[in-house]
Amino acid sequence: MAGQGNAAASLFTEPEMEFLGEDETISIIPNVRLEAVQLICGDFGPFYPQIPVKVPLWLGIAMKKRSKCRIQPPDWMSVERLAQVLDDEREAPREFQPLPFHYVEISRLLLDNAREDFENNFMVQSLLEDIKDVRWDKVEAGLKTLSTRTHAVKLKNVSAMEVNRMRNFTVRALQSFYKHDSEDLVKQTGLESDSQTTSTSSEHLPRRTLRPR
Amino acid sequence: MSKYYDLNDILVEDEVVSTVFHHKANGVGYLDPGSEDDNVEKGAVVELPLWLAQDLSRRKIIQVNLPPCFGAKVRKEVQADPACVNLRSKCPYFYEMGCKLADITGDPSLGGFLLSTLRGRYRDILCKALTSTITSTPKFMTLLTQEETHLFEAGRDSMRTFQKWRLQGPQLERAPILGRKRR
Repeated sequence: MAGQGNAAASLFTEPEMEFLGEDETISIIPNVRLEAVQLICGDFGPFYPQIPVKVPLWLGIAMKKRSKCRIQPPDWMSVERLAQVLDDEREAPREFQPLPFHYVEISRLLLDNAREDFENNFMVQSLLEDIKDVRWDKVEAGLKTLSTRTHAVKLKNVSAMEVNRMRNFTVRALQSFYKHDSEDLVKQTGLESDSQTTSTSSEHLPRRTLRPR
Repeated sequence: MSKYYDLNDILVEDEVVSTVFHHKANGVGYLDPGSEDDNVEKGAVVELPLWLAQDLSRRKIIQVNLPPCFGAKVRKEVQADPACVNLRSKCPYFYEMGCKLADITGDPSLGGFLLSTLRGRYRDILCKALTSTITSTPKFMTLLTQEETHLFEAGRDSMRTFQKWRLQGPQLERAPILGRKRR
């Protein structure tokens, strides 16, 4: 029991997230003829040259490494779409734009292994980088508003990697706030007369406006 | 009982608090270095570890005084600027001990004080945890209590592992191209 607290808190490491992201499907254009492959996650193929086919990302990358296929960049990884997402992302300071749940992992894997299949790979990369930064900024801003009455946080469209990155800190922060808040609540009734606490409770007021998130 | 095996909890309870005896106690003179015989007189001020004080005060044998780290002076300091106060030097288990003492002493303002301290320091910890780089071990950490250190490390470590993941692998080979792009 003792001493395992820290390790248990972080459920996934980044390579594990990458592994999970590799299960997403992607469409490839093979340049070899190959029979259908039967995998635990399903059957893929048969592969004919120049006929696009959907496969798991890991299979696509494995074939790409042996130059048996070309990877078709997913729709959301086109420059126009990413620029649009970035704009929307900047315009809505509290919302996250819908992107694939594993977009960080997928884009990294694709740009690492199949860079030449993207027309504008520098542009795509820098757009993704910007999107990532803008989104992380929002996460940080959200974390700053964590306060005493926050018992849960609702975040729509946050990607797996972003969740994983903030998980440890958020959980710990919420835990300690919860602990001290409940401690406080017990005594709230007897507080009113004390001069010390009137000064602190006046401090509470401006913060409470942050509550509706 | 859930915290029975928690090492930190044991360490918290080992902190010393000053207490006042309500009754005369026979045969425990070793608790009070100032006593001449084997007894502790009524009204004697004795320093006891928290675990003992907790039990004795529950039986109304002693009264627990608030340690100086929760006193008026520290409260003023914390009110002025929570983030800059060196709580580690005052009491490394500030929050845990505060929670336990709020229970024993029945001080109604203590809970609120702990909460406002945590809230005041939280933002600073957040910013520093998320921006700390791989190499730096900031001297800011020397100001933090145990609980805050855990919070800080949780944030910093997940940032670090993420950075590491992004920079590892084939991306390292591509560095010169990236360098050219930036220019």
